[in-house]
Amino acid sequence: MPLIDLGAAIALGLRYFTIIYLTGLGGLFSERSGIVNIGLEGIMIIGTVMGAWGTIEYGPFAGLLIGAGAGMLFSMVHALATVTFKVDHIVSGVVINVVAIGLARFLAQLFFGQATQSNPGIPDFGTISVPLLSDLPLGLGNAFAGMSPVVPFAFLITIPALYVLNKTRFGLRLRSAGENPEAARSLGVRVAPLRYAGVGISGLLGGMAGAFLAIEINGLFREGQTQGLGFIALAALILGNWTPIRLMIGSLLFGFAQAIPLRLNDAPVISLLPEEFIRMIPYVVTIIAIAGFVGRVNPPAAAGKAYEGATT
Amino acid sequence: MSSEAPATGAATRAPRRDLLSSALARTIGLLGAFLLAGLLGSIIILAYGENPLDVYRIVFEFSFNRPQDIASVLENATPLIFSGLAVAVAFKAGLFNIGVEGQYIVAMAAAAAAALGLSFLPGFLLVPAVLIAAMLGGMVWASVPAVLKVKTGAHEVVTTIMMNGIAISLVAWLILNPMRSTAGQMIDLRTDLLPKKSLIPTIAETLGIESIPGSVYFTWLFPLALVACFLVWVLLFRTRLGYEVRAVGSSSGSAEAGGISTGATQIKIFLISGALAGFVGLNHLLGDKGYLGSNYEILLGFNGITVAFLGRNHPAGIPLAAILIGMLSRGQDGIAVLTDLPTEILIILQGVLILSVVIAYELVSRRITRRRQQEVRAEEEPPSARPAEATA
Repeated sequence: MPLIDLGAAIALGLRYFTIIYLTGLGGLFSERSGIVNIGLEGIMIIGTVMGAWGTIEYGPFAGLLIGAGAGMLFSMVHALATVTFKVDHIVSGVVINVVAIGLARFLAQLFFGQATQSNPGIPDFGTISVPLLSDLPLGLGNAFAGMSPVVPFAFLITIPALYVLNKTRFGLRLRSAGENPEAARSLGVRVAPLRYAGVGISGLLGGMAGAFLAIEINGLFREGQTQGLGFIALAALILGNWTPIRLMIGSLLFGFAQAIPLRLNDAPVISLLPEEFIRMIPYVVTIIAIAGFVGRVNPPAAAGKAYEGATT
Repeated sequence: MSSEAPATGAATRAPRRDLLSSALARTIGLLGAFLLAGLLGSIIILAYGENPLDVYRIVFEFSFNRPQDIASVLENATPLIFSGLAVAVAFKAGLFNIGVEGQYIVAMAAAAAAALGLSFLPGFLLVPAVLIAAMLGGMVWASVPAVLKVKTGAHEVVTTIMMNGIAISLVAWLILNPMRSTAGQMIDLRTDLLPKKSLIPTIAETLGIESIPGSVYFTWLFPLALVACFLVWVLLFRTRLGYEVRAVGSSSGSAEAGGISTGATQIKIFLISGALAGFVGLNHLLGDKGYLGSNYEILLGFNGITVAFLGRNHPAGIPLAAILIGMLSRGQDGIAVLTDLPTEILIILQGVLILSVVIAYELVSRRITRRRQQEVRAEEEPPSARPAEATA
């Protein structure tokens, strides 16, 4: 098997990992605060169109930030519906996903003059080369020679994420809002603002992931380019049992499952397996995991439930 | 799920007055939601430099001016009635079927396979066979989340989302491999053309109505959808299973205590939901296209959730909600022709509408519950005897 292909597959796998992991990590903050967020796909879609526009206007760095900001703004619709008006989280999430498609077309029409895509070849970040790893022999070094700078960022963000979640007062309160809001409230913690913050973080990271997809993988905005990656992020989150490190492992697995059909379709064994079946892997693995056949899945106790107490 | 108001289990005393006032409250809530959505939509339209009233008038005129406009609205509504029903029946048992999307995609493949594989049958046998294949396809796809829910407790929202993902890949593979058309060099990926006798004719064609052009696929599936609404109503409100479903939906604990097997009921209703989902893609497959291509219509399952909630999960409300959404899709054509607005404005408007309707229902049913509780409390003990701390 040509290892150059393997190197290229790893490189692409890491890019897909970045999308899945960033989005999943956002979802983690939302769900740990008690708000189930199946609107991740929609948030990501807003990130793709706004990120592409921002990149064309102001360059890729600004594009990434604009995508993130737009994702956060858009996620506030979900927060408003679920936290303030106590609408069912699933209903709101579904609406978010459907509206995002329309809104993205609307915005694309405004920005690019056509609803379904932008011009290709929008500027990207350029690549960095990871020292030592990029010198690996047999073409494996390719995986680390032309890396997007956002990929290491995604790995590194784990450290502040873990710190905030486990070591800060905000993180503790956020988790208490998702596990037992009544108890949190009785200790003087205001549940609603924490849940807004949790959803906002999911919008921020999901939007950033969408922008990354448009800027660094496709080089344009195109309708339908998210292809269910938001749902795969949700799958990684469940498989990761709502903890960052396990989410990272799940995202790596699913990221490679995305890249393999695109880069390794000639390799032995894999060539026998149709691309479509490899694409099913994340979904099948998640169903098996959630059915309890491997390990245990423990969602935040109060996730999905409206908190009936005072909203302030 | 909290948005379900206890309409049937109201207090026994003066139930009629109670029902009337809560119906009134809901109507006011609904009108308020429409007004809010219209206002928010107007802001976007105004920002675009168009007159909102003109835009709304165009949507209305394009939906109702000529017979063919009405036919097109009903064409749009047909799949949405089925998907709304599929979501609603599951919801009555407290289950959230957001897998209608995957179920109908698989059902379309099953229907296409039946139409191609059983093409030796005469038409009057082939059409029912194709419909049954579609129902079975939907049921098979729904059975996995249903059984996992009951046997392992796996949440159906998560499993159905995953089944949707699998369905898309599976059908993509089917179209690319075993079911791919062998007829010549084709640019678009699709199956062979289905035999003409397996297709469902339009109502205009059968009845010889000439004012509706052949490009409007307003087929016999629409009346079938209305029949399905009636059957679902009978099922939910006139049969033992329906009673059990509603009991499980309002409180699975009490239902179990009352001798109802929650698991068996949930599996049965989820399979019925899957069977209804099987019809969702058929107007597209058997009415319009006549083959299954890789560019089949998507989102019909998710829009069914919108329809179900707009129609309050009731078999009478669902067709109305589906027609409303059908109008909004039809209106897009009008907007494209007569204004400079991007047509997507109506998709956004639809989202705003459903969110405001859900919020309005939520607020109204909370208000009703609160008022009932107050009434009951006021009745149980005279105000003077009530201890001071209970007033909070």
